[in-house]
Amino acid sequence: MDIKIQIIVAAGVLLGLAAIINMIRKKSLELQYALAWLFVGGGILVLDCFPQILTWLAHEAGVASPVNMLFFLGFCFSLVIIFTLTVTVSRMSTQIKELTQAQALQKESRERKEDAGMKNNVKNKAKNDADVKNSVQ
Amino acid sequence: MKKLIIIPAYNEEANIVKTVESIERDAVGFDYIVINDCSTDRTKEICEEHGFHYVDLPINLGIGGAVQTGYKYAWENGYDMAVQVDGDGQHDPEFLELMAEYLEIHQVDMVIGSRFIEKQGFQSSGMRRVGIRFFSGLIRLMTGKTITDPTSGLRMAGRNVIELFSKDYPRDYPEPESVVAILRKGLKVAEVPVIMREREGGVSSISMKKSVYYMVKVTLAILIERIRR
Repeated sequence: MDIKIQIIVAAGVLLGLAAIINMIRKKSLELQYALAWLFVGGGILVLDCFPQILTWLAHEAGVASPVNMLFFLGFCFSLVIIFTLTVTVSRMSTQIKELTQAQALQKESRERKEDAGMKNNVKNKAKNDADVKNSVQ
Repeated sequence: MKKLIIIPAYNEEANIVKTVESIERDAVGFDYIVINDCSTDRTKEICEEHGFHYVDLPINLGIGGAVQTGYKYAWENGYDMAVQVDGDGQHDPEFLELMAEYLEIHQVDMVIGSRFIEKQGFQSSGMRRVGIRFFSGLIRLMTGKTITDPTSGLRMAGRNVIELFSKDYPRDYPEPESVVAILRKGLKVAEVPVIMREREGGVSSISMKKSVYYMVKVTLAILIERIRR
């Protein structure tokens, strides 16, 4: 690989990593979910600094061009990250469903209690009024 | 015996009053709860105006999530039986007493109202009947039990099934899949003949476009249910 390309890639990755870390610092990104991206960034940086790793890997895997090996690895990383996201979305939608149901049921039971309480108050008030009336008489 | 009718309602302003009134008139001895699944029409306002008993979901959960809310309500409030009656007027409340009696006398865990035992009333369209027969066969293959109307929404659940459904209920098109789940747990399911009407208003949740998704999703769900634990 050309040294010029190597420097450009390294600069790009470092910039990206800095941006991610900055977002974690500002809490607009959860470290838990950013971790995979940090590792990907680190991985690319290592491959960029030591391109012989890629050449060796490509040779071992029987891939003609090291660049193709890079594409393949990138594709695999992306698939893993996308799949993790699907799992997360699936879990979150269940959590949201449970939350919605709990909230709706609690609201209903609270309103039912309030209604019952109001009726009792009215009843008690009527009783008190009657008692006052009786005692006056 | 505390008995609950679950009425899932999504944009049912045209039918909801008729449905609830016919339940109050014909299904004596049943409590009911309307589950307003975040309708965009006046369903909620109508429930409020008429003083109907309802639960208001803050976001739209779809039919499975709405019905499950009803089962959770039934479980939390100590109901012995719960049945789902759709808000579109397809289900006749007259059959509910019959189904409740059957469940109590025969000590089964769930009673399904089937259109296809006596083949009376609205029999669904031709294509749908083919689909229903396919699911019926698939369930027989998977569980060894014959369910003639696995897509029927008219199902009376006992306490065991209420608990099960309140913990775990499919998201969409839940009927065939949840029947398999119950059969696989070794609970008893029985069918009684009912007559269903053609829907009075609104649109079916299963359009032509969705029917392919329906077939694939429900088939896979049944197959996966079979290999669970």
